[in-house]
Amino acid sequence: MVRVKSCFVIRGAFDGARFAQSLKGLALRFDAAEPARRFGILDCHDQSLRASGRALIQIDGSLILLCGRKSQIQGCRGEGKFVQDLPDGPVKVALAGFPKLRALMNVGSGRVEHRSFVVLGDQQKTQVRGTMMLLSSDQGQVSVVTVRHMRGYDRAFKSICQKLKKMDAAASSTEPVFDGLFPKATIYKAKPQIRIETHEPSIEVATDIIRTYLAVARQNEAGVIDDIDTEFLHDYRVSLRRVRSVISLFKDVFSLEQTAELKREFSGLMEPTGRVRDLDVYLLEKDSYFNLIPVNLHDGVRAMFTQFENERAQALGRLSRRFLTQGYDTQMRKLTELFADPANLRPGPNADRPAYDFACSLIWKRYRKTCKLARRITPHTPDEVVHNLRIDCKKLRYLMEYFAPLFDAKAFKTIIKPLKKLQDNLGLFNDFSVQQEALQNFVKQNSNTQGRADAQMALSVGGLIAVLDQRQRAERDCVIAKFKQFDSPDIRHLFRKLFHHKEG
Amino acid sequence: MKIIACYSNKGGVGKTATSVNLAHAYAVAGHKVLLCDLDPQGASGFYLRVKPSKKLTDARFFDDVARFTKSIRASDFEGLDVLPANMTFRDFDVFLSRMRNKRSRLKKALIAAGSDYDVIILDCPPNFSTLSENVFKAADQIVVPVIPTTLSERSFDQLVGFFDANKLSKKKLNAFFSMVQQRKTLHHETMDEMRKRHRKRFLQSSIPFAADIERMGQNRAPVSEYAPRSAASTAYQKLYDEIENRSASKQ
Repeated sequence: MVRVKSCFVIRGAFDGARFAQSLKGLALRFDAAEPARRFGILDCHDQSLRASGRALIQIDGSLILLCGRKSQIQGCRGEGKFVQDLPDGPVKVALAGFPKLRALMNVGSGRVEHRSFVVLGDQQKTQVRGTMMLLSSDQGQVSVVTVRHMRGYDRAFKSICQKLKKMDAAASSTEPVFDGLFPKATIYKAKPQIRIETHEPSIEVATDIIRTYLAVARQNEAGVIDDIDTEFLHDYRVSLRRVRSVISLFKDVFSLEQTAELKREFSGLMEPTGRVRDLDVYLLEKDSYFNLIPVNLHDGVRAMFTQFENERAQALGRLSRRFLTQGYDTQMRKLTELFADPANLRPGPNADRPAYDFACSLIWKRYRKTCKLARRITPHTPDEVVHNLRIDCKKLRYLMEYFAPLFDAKAFKTIIKPLKKLQDNLGLFNDFSVQQEALQNFVKQNSNTQGRADAQMALSVGGLIAVLDQRQRAERDCVIAKFKQFDSPDIRHLFRKLFHHKEG
Repeated sequence: MKIIACYSNKGGVGKTATSVNLAHAYAVAGHKVLLCDLDPQGASGFYLRVKPSKKLTDARFFDDVARFTKSIRASDFEGLDVLPANMTFRDFDVFLSRMRNKRSRLKKALIAAGSDYDVIILDCPPNFSTLSENVFKAADQIVVPVIPTTLSERSFDQLVGFFDANKLSKKKLNAFFSMVQQRKTLHHETMDEMRKRHRKRFLQSSIPFAADIERMGQNRAPVSEYAPRSAASTAYQKLYDEIENRSASKQ
């Protein structure tokens, strides 16, 4: 079966004359070029389309999605939109699975020239139709050649496709659209690979990780200011949290005063982002909140979300203004300079300890502490202890992630799987509890001095709290079972084998 | 799917030009059209630069749907495909006359193979035969070009007579005047006379005798492609509108 349409991505400008020469018994005729237009390459911040071998091009009011030899076209604009909000069409269908929380943004633009051509057989009969898009940026050029099969002319189509295949150096990949047009663009990675050597002094490991995540945080600032999607702030916060966790978990790598200073400074950086993130989370969950309670209680929730939206706009405005201040920029620059070289930091007693040895001791201690706490948990243990378990698990996970390059990847995967499940469970337990607290605060803020609140709102919030409380308890009931899975003899054995080496 | 036959029992009346221009008009209006060249001379394929198919013989035309569909070629015009003619089509008649259900074989073959199309236009050879009986049976409409001359008049009377004798529905017959020369008194007189005699059979539009239509052989394209503002092009467009309106009002 002959495919109806095939698409070829060719580095540089398509040499029509040379191509025409290579065709035996067929002639190539180009139409006049259409006036050049602007194009933009759309992707999300972490370039998931590029990573999946696809490229999304916006030209005026049309979206063109290239994927291997296939291309889809849909008449709509995509910049700044979420895929699920695009009008229905072939591009939207082909983009199914695109991250829901990520908006499409322009990751590069330039000019595009469009020309149609036909391949003629004898008697000047058209046997194949095609179009050529020449995309040009200030750093390079890429041609996208699409050919269309015409009924009854399979042989000509196959021969043209074979010839184009030879010119298509990237072999059906859309990568040239990115590295051919924007070779200098940096690819954003929320979790970059950090190389660690077994005998590397621990202070070097710590500064490497901190330096890397400072850079990741900074790459998210512009997206927060432009309010492209909520993942920018989320990634910003996760990066800074990783920095803080290195400072507090890598015990005695820095001097006591240095550690205290850094903790203070990074808390200061995190603090102004908290409220916006909380509100983002509520707003993202908006639909599910409505689903939790009956329709006749929706009015109160609607009013609450309107208030959340207003508050978020204000809080984000404050945060963006802060990001734009000279003071903030100077502070971040100074921190980047500070972590450029471990020699800039005052060392603690563990500074020179070899990474592998330090990793084993930290992870083993944290593992033992976590297990000790978890094994004590019964159905009657106060929630407080469950919260502490969540934090311990998180610390354990961070440590394991930082030092992962030093250990056997397969063994790590085996350990992390049940740990992740336990963490998901604890995470939900925590979310439900935080949400209840937030709702109670919301009612408090919206009450008059006598503590009276609007009945509609109070009813809705009361309903929500009741449901959230039930869910929290359900999660709580799972904790012991999930921990048992993590605490299996196999996993225990693996932990001991990996991290606990008895001397002698 | 709608089947329109372009038929005349007299040769040289503009059947092929009508088939090609009508098929093109349907395609331009957004329909998916298959033009079947049933005339072994293969003129409509020639007008559209599509070469005769070597592999399709009459036996295969009726029996082998896969091969039938394989012989279809895209024309240079969006939405218009062609089933090119073949010299062996000349034996259609002998072949058909030997078959059982001989009058409905064509319709069955077209319905099986033409499901991708909104409209199928048949360019028919000029005679009365088992093939033309098949055409009369298969077609929803039969478009008959008539030159306003005495001989053509006689041929058309024969056709109507044939329909009467064989109890075929004359409603299918949509005749129109072709190659009309406004200067000739004879043409005017014949047209007036025939319109009176076959009041319901004749369409209002007619196609003039025009050099632009004769040039189809050189340009190998429908008239509206190379002479879009010509009288001939306008006339074919009017003919299309009228045929399409008639079939719409029937439905």
